[in-house]
Amino acid sequence: MASLLSIEKLTKRFGGLVAVNQLDLDVEERSIASVIGPNGAGKTTVFNCVAGFYRPEEGRIIFGGEEIQGLSPDRTTTKGIARTYQNIRLFANMTALENILVGQHPRLKTGWLQAILRTPGYHQEETGALQEAFRLLKFVGLSGVGDHLASGLPYAAQRRLEIARALASKPKLLLLDEPTAGMNPHETAEMTDFIHNLRDKLGITILLIEHDMRVVMGISEKITVLDYGSKIAEGQAKEIQNNAKVIEAYLGRGAASGLKRSPAAQAGAV
Amino acid sequence: MHTALSGLRPALIAFAIILYLNLVGFPLKFGSVAIWVFGAVLFLISFIVSRRAAASPPALILTKSLIIGLIPSLGLALLTYVFAGMQASQITIQDVFAQILPPHTAALTGLTSEQVIAGESVVPGLYNLVLILTSAAVLGGGLSLLPYEKLKSLQGEKTQGFRSTLPLLIPLLLFAAYLSLGLSSVQLFGSQENKFGLLLLYVFFGSSLYALRVIPQGRLKTAFLIVAVLATIAAPLLNDQFQNSVLGFVTIFIIMGIGLNIVVGFAGLLDLGYVAFFAVGAYSYGLLSSPTSWILVNVPGFEGITFWAGLPIAIVLGLMAGILLGVPVLRLRGDYLAIVTLGFGEIIRLILLNLREFTDGPSGVRGIPPPDLFGVNLGNPRDLLFLAMVVAAIVTFIALRLRDSRIGRSWVAMREDETVAQAMGINLISTKLLAFAFGAMFASLSGVLYAARQVNVYPDNFALDVSINVLALIIIGGIGSIEGVVIGAIALIGLPEILRSVNEYRVVAFGALLVAMMALRPEGLLPSLRRKRELHAGEQENIARRRKVPSS
Repeated sequence: MASLLSIEKLTKRFGGLVAVNQLDLDVEERSIASVIGPNGAGKTTVFNCVAGFYRPEEGRIIFGGEEIQGLSPDRTTTKGIARTYQNIRLFANMTALENILVGQHPRLKTGWLQAILRTPGYHQEETGALQEAFRLLKFVGLSGVGDHLASGLPYAAQRRLEIARALASKPKLLLLDEPTAGMNPHETAEMTDFIHNLRDKLGITILLIEHDMRVVMGISEKITVLDYGSKIAEGQAKEIQNNAKVIEAYLGRGAASGLKRSPAAQAGAV
Repeated sequence: MHTALSGLRPALIAFAIILYLNLVGFPLKFGSVAIWVFGAVLFLISFIVSRRAAASPPALILTKSLIIGLIPSLGLALLTYVFAGMQASQITIQDVFAQILPPHTAALTGLTSEQVIAGESVVPGLYNLVLILTSAAVLGGGLSLLPYEKLKSLQGEKTQGFRSTLPLLIPLLLFAAYLSLGLSSVQLFGSQENKFGLLLLYVFFGSSLYALRVIPQGRLKTAFLIVAVLATIAAPLLNDQFQNSVLGFVTIFIIMGIGLNIVVGFAGLLDLGYVAFFAVGAYSYGLLSSPTSWILVNVPGFEGITFWAGLPIAIVLGLMAGILLGVPVLRLRGDYLAIVTLGFGEIIRLILLNLREFTDGPSGVRGIPPPDLFGVNLGNPRDLLFLAMVVAAIVTFIALRLRDSRIGRSWVAMREDETVAQAMGINLISTKLLAFAFGAMFASLSGVLYAARQVNVYPDNFALDVSINVLALIIIGGIGSIEGVVIGAIALIGLPEILRSVNEYRVVAFGALLVAMMALRPEGLLPSLRRKRELHAGEQENIARRRKVPSS
């Protein structure tokens, strides 16, 4: 399969700190890929570069055959990249439905003149947008809370709403930043199934950052491990679990050498 | 303690009702008998309030009804005492107050105004007044403690329905009272003899405005809308010139308020230099139409434009000014934006002041022609008011439609979280510019109306305080809400005009009002539903929690 997103020699610096260093990353179409790594490894920075929040110093980001590095976030969204945030960033004082309607923004075309005149085209588009919003609410399992304020929803529902909002732009690539952070095991299992569904039913390519190893290992077709901004390993779940460099990055050198002798303890640790 | 203080609110409402009855002329008509009418009012209020809190301990309910009785009666007694004292010592007071209060309220004690002037003391009568009113309130609270099953129907859902029709009932009852009693006239503002019909009109207008927010979509809502529109159209015909002039000024500020509301309320861009666009509108029409302006004097054959040509020109120039300001400040947020716009507002004023050859500097633009329609001069306050009302209606219509559209949603999203809004595919540059442009256009339009109304405009008319006033009126009214802008403009622009002769104190009073408002009701008088939820999110949860407790 062709890769939908390929990152080549990406480097992002903040002053003297090299947050991402010469990173190469390929995400195949209709795949689920994960980026993991200890805190401060540069995972979210990679996301921010892809989504257009940061302008990388070096390297290229190719999305669907086009170079997109340096484009502003609204442009990358129009190209088909949507994202969620590590700390949920919904429009807290808008209703769930309004959040999704805002998410549909790039797909809607009517301007201010049509809005003032309420032309037939405007009506058609708004009705369509509303129906789509209801459909998305149902898809993420939030039917019936459309008129609740986003800030009033339970935590797990907010995560889902954020995904629904991202889906509203009909993305080809969805960047999920720690989608199960702060969830209990039951909610986490539900979210994992849900992410699978996104790919299987909607055909969306997914790149996620995640700390919960059970989620990562269970869901990802490819895992990339970052440490200090550089890629230290890449491959399928099994390969990563046994990679000495990964264990070292997470647990330190001593632990890594100790764990090699005890595969059982190692599985528990990673 | 906290719950006993909750009696303060009904007490103040009762005080307001009693003051109103005074205003209408109850004491003059009935003398000391009016006290019993007031007593009945207090009794009812205290009864209803206590009934709603039937679960509280009796001592608390009695304390509350004592507060409900004491505050209005002591307030009324104090006013009567002060005004009677002033009348006795021949101190002339502000016309507005003189006509409403002293002769009327002194009559409550059974004395005529001649007796008051002759120096007879009102104090014994006042003891009587306080005693009767307070006992009536306590009696109401006490009676509510009796376990009448039937009275319970006043609670719960039925009261809900009753409350939603209240805005309609009150003006109807007042009207009935007026017709049946033939009460004396009120001269709240203006010079005509009988203003009660007019006052009623305003009550209708206000209650409809309120009802429109409370009542869900339906026939009743349509009825209220029609009432509000009819009252709006009828008022200028009944008003005298002064009233129309004041309302015209208010309407000009409503137009500006609606414009600034788009910028600040919807899009969340704090603009402190809004007056600049107002000045652009006023000066563009003024300089192109005043016979003494540089353009008319120096361009041969140019006779000046009409008001109707001035409107589209002002729209275009306003738009350009909006974009001119918008482009450099696009990257600024919050405080920085406020400071830069503040500077922009002052720059425009200074340019008008110092570009002497062109604008005549401090002498201003003089002799700006009034609008005329097919040869009919529309320069009188009534026609100008109608004109301003038409513009205000159009502007409101546009603002509402924009608010409910994709554009409105992106404004709110931008206000909530600019970064995420951009990640939703919203182009921040065009969205911000659109908000600035609409705000500037509306202000510019109101500038043309202002120039036509004032005939002469000076750079000092466009100082910082106009920006602050417009901002204050949308905050007082309820930021983000269009009805709020109307109420805010009436409160902040209309009232000071009416009370012009107490000029020095009005600024102090409004400072206090602003502080009190922000402390007690930060969402404004008629807030947009979104803002209300925002500022009272915690309370709503509490209410929901409290409601859950008895059912579980």
